[in-house]
Amino acid sequence: MSPLGSWSRVFTAPPSVSAQPSNLESARQPALLGACLSALPVPAPEVTCCPAGRAEVEMAERYVKPGNKERGWNDPPQFSYGLQTQAGGPKRTPLTKRVAPPQDGLPRVPTSEMSPGAPAVGHLPPSSKASRPPLGGSCPPSSMEPTQCSVVELEILLEDVLSPLERALEDCRGHTKKQVCDDINRRLALLQEQWAGGKLSVPVKKRMALLVQELSSHQWDAADDIHRSLMVDHVTEVSQWMVGVKRLIAEKRSLSSEEEANEGKSTAAAEQNQTLPGIPHTP
Amino acid sequence: MATYLEFIQQNEERDGVRFSWNVWPSSRLEATRMVVPLACLLTPLKERPDLPPVQYEPVLCSRPTCKAILNPLCQVDYRAKLWACNFCFQRNQFPPAYAGISEVNQPAELMPQFSTIEYVIQRGAQSPLIFLYVVDTCLEEDDLQALKESLQMSLSLLPPDALVGLITFGRMVQVHELSCEGISKSYVFRGTKDLTAKQIQDMLGLTKPAMPMQPARPAQPQDQPFISSRFLQPVHKIDMNLTDLLGELQRDPWPVTQGKRPLRSTGVALSIAVGLLEGTFPNTGARIMLFTGGPPTQGPGMVVGDELKVPIRSWHDIEKDNARFMKKATKHYEMLANRTAANGHCIDIYACALDQTGLLEMKCCTNLTGGHMVMGDSFNTSLFKQTFQRIFSKDFNGNFRMAFGATLEVKTSRELKIAGAIGPCVSLNMRGPCVSENELGVGGTSQWKICGLDPTSTLGIYFEVVNQHNAPVPQGGRGAIQFVTHYQHSSTQRRIRVTTIARNWADAQSQLKHIEAAFDQEAAAVLMARLGVFRTESEEGPDVLRWLDRQLIRLCQKFGQYNKEDPTSFRLSDSFSLYPQFMFHLRRSPFLQVFNNSPDESSYYRHHFARQDLTQSLIMIQPILYSYSFHGPPEPVLLDSSSILADRILLMDTFFQIVIYLGETIAQWRKAGYQDMPEYENFKHLLQAPLDDAQEILQARFPMPRYINTEHGGSQARFLLSKVNPSQTHNNLYAWGQETGAPILTDDVSLQVFMDHLKKLAVSSAC
Repeated sequence: MSPLGSWSRVFTAPPSVSAQPSNLESARQPALLGACLSALPVPAPEVTCCPAGRAEVEMAERYVKPGNKERGWNDPPQFSYGLQTQAGGPKRTPLTKRVAPPQDGLPRVPTSEMSPGAPAVGHLPPSSKASRPPLGGSCPPSSMEPTQCSVVELEILLEDVLSPLERALEDCRGHTKKQVCDDINRRLALLQEQWAGGKLSVPVKKRMALLVQELSSHQWDAADDIHRSLMVDHVTEVSQWMVGVKRLIAEKRSLSSEEEANEGKSTAAAEQNQTLPGIPHTP
Repeated sequence: MATYLEFIQQNEERDGVRFSWNVWPSSRLEATRMVVPLACLLTPLKERPDLPPVQYEPVLCSRPTCKAILNPLCQVDYRAKLWACNFCFQRNQFPPAYAGISEVNQPAELMPQFSTIEYVIQRGAQSPLIFLYVVDTCLEEDDLQALKESLQMSLSLLPPDALVGLITFGRMVQVHELSCEGISKSYVFRGTKDLTAKQIQDMLGLTKPAMPMQPARPAQPQDQPFISSRFLQPVHKIDMNLTDLLGELQRDPWPVTQGKRPLRSTGVALSIAVGLLEGTFPNTGARIMLFTGGPPTQGPGMVVGDELKVPIRSWHDIEKDNARFMKKATKHYEMLANRTAANGHCIDIYACALDQTGLLEMKCCTNLTGGHMVMGDSFNTSLFKQTFQRIFSKDFNGNFRMAFGATLEVKTSRELKIAGAIGPCVSLNMRGPCVSENELGVGGTSQWKICGLDPTSTLGIYFEVVNQHNAPVPQGGRGAIQFVTHYQHSSTQRRIRVTTIARNWADAQSQLKHIEAAFDQEAAAVLMARLGVFRTESEEGPDVLRWLDRQLIRLCQKFGQYNKEDPTSFRLSDSFSLYPQFMFHLRRSPFLQVFNNSPDESSYYRHHFARQDLTQSLIMIQPILYSYSFHGPPEPVLLDSSSILADRILLMDTFFQIVIYLGETIAQWRKAGYQDMPEYENFKHLLQAPLDDAQEILQARFPMPRYINTEHGGSQARFLLSKVNPSQTHNNLYAWGQETGAPILTDDVSLQVFMDHLKKLAVSSAC
């Protein structure tokens, strides 16, 4: 059979590749992962989508960027905080299967379906015309470059981030030790300076805007989680001042829980001890 | 035998245990003839999302020498409110709280589905987790910067009430006082002089109340932690100051002249860290985390001198007895490791450098205490950064995947004795009636201490059948083993995990088929491999290989089907069919071969092999190879040179490396850019599929593996070529035009030749 003949067999029966839902089919939907591994030389593909909606930022938090090949031999790619902490997700079957060797000890029959000895050059991969998914299907966008227009559109203003933080700090004064407040203040000033100096990247600004939103709506855990994601993904940019924001979240949280306690609204639900069924007593 | 496979898998999921044999030979003599010992791989804290802990304490057998825990195998007299211990047959009264017990109202620990159960102990003071960073400052500027950032980042990942401390070292060792006030102070020690624990504690002022202004310290246990408050502080109190302190860390200021290594006082720094925790928080969960970028070059524990012209020891030097500092350094670190283990603390080593850093000498620090060992090229790599992040990963309940200060106690029924354990543990020297005289691994005890462990930490535990040959199959027909793990949960609770298992006895003469069918070849391979690797500590490499070969031949003689002197008639049943292949790859693995590895690399590989669970250990022994092509869905293929074909993409997982290899044709297509043409979109998907699978492995693996993307003819293809079975070599290429796969340029023996020899020896009556 000619090499083309063998391909045409596959060509006429493309489902042999694509109809396998277990693996290749799911490989068609890597949109969740944002970008593929370091095989693509895309520098830190932080996707910035047009409306600064929460969902988009969350998607942007899930990305993979190449490892540091300069310093590390075969350095693996780096996964963002969002990817690392995402709940299990639909796991494919782990690749742990093995094949037993033939017991007869004879050399194995060649399994290549290419005709032996034929020069490989000149072969074409099977065309997928027949099986091409509709345009705009589940394939990831090939370009990860942020579009310029969108960045301009949603310029996040320093005041929008800084003033809620400063207000939160003012709330804490009196409740928190002066020295700690001053320390937080110093770090907010640093944030201001770096932001004004153009030293902060768009993703950091966006996530800070989200953090402030969560802080203002008393979503302490969510705010804390955004702080952690910033520390993990952008530590170089944020490490010097982020700890002040972290402390501010903690202080504000303790202040508000104290206020709640004072108002007599004990929200502490009775600690529900987890027990197994059928236990008569807990000695 | 799908049923046995299911049984094995079910038991692993429920109890975290895999036995080499799942039906046990009923006499000592027959058991020794099985060649592979009766043993198990136990993952004491295997993650069980479906198993909430119970909030009460276990009921113990009242016999002082037994103290087994009430379990589903115990006989219960519901009317008399009595239970009989299934290990010593003692009859016990139920405690008063169990007055309401009846056939229809049973406590969880009596239900068969709770063969593994976890108790939360309410007694005792809870103390916070402790993290003591010991940081090398003799690093290059960008390495130090990256490390500082990782440490700052870790402050966000630690639990807010955890205590944290900082020691830095170069030529001198600095113990930093952490205070909320603006001024930072530190105690400076010379790096050349070893100090006793007492001296260190005196010099740091740990033996007397920390602050003279606070006299008359009442002897309340809650006050005890504050003795060390200057050096260990809660994260939420000092995170801002510590961030600044870390940010201001400078490279070691002492000049390093040309041709010299920086003076690095790792030995003294570790000694001070151990002494500090020993004096302040004995028997409390604590991690000493050592970050180092080079070998110790001065003081106790030095591994190499500071003259660059004298290279650090190699395997060659060690064989020639030419490693000057090795013995003394090893002794120093062993002493520290044993003290640390006695205190219930663990030591992690994060060594990032291109050359060796002395892991060979320091390995006992992690291996005896259950700490992590991480080896990378630089702190400024994703390999280090992400591995370090994963230390602080959380489980489905939001708890850290780390536990501390565990003791593992094993109890057996009378027909069994405990021969030993291999894993990240030390012996607690608890002798007793169920401890065997014959040691396998760390023996002579029924209890071990595991100072640091996570949900995947796995021990190999070895047993001996002691029932006499003429004695009948023991009463009840089943043997039982109980594993009791006391530990400090990351939520700081004390907990006890109890797993009780039983297996049938069988008479090996009349029921050999049953025993054979219940053989778990995967568990057996890993358990034998652990024994082999354990032997490398004290024996020469070739002796270990000979021992392994001998065991394999005997196993084949016992369980193969063959006519005497006729190798072609040799067959192994399904339950043994993969075993010789595992042994073949194990012989070639870096766990037994030191060729092409530095002593540090060998120590690193062996460290991970001795603690991972069965699945990961098996990947280390025999890497996984998957093929992606247009001929069908991805499929596992033989780890063999014949699997390397032009029209395939291969994905190989060796645990330490993930390799993606494009066959010749695929590589040409990619070069020609077919993946970018819309009509060849399926080619693009084919290229993407192994990348996605690799990504999934990378996201779950600890430590982060290296990631190699290569193709036919690429220099990095050597990672694949060195692992596959060399069934085609330059010596045995078949007639022209018929070769498939990739010939490997090696004189190594192939699996086929290995099997031929094995069969010949197995069927030979001379053996």
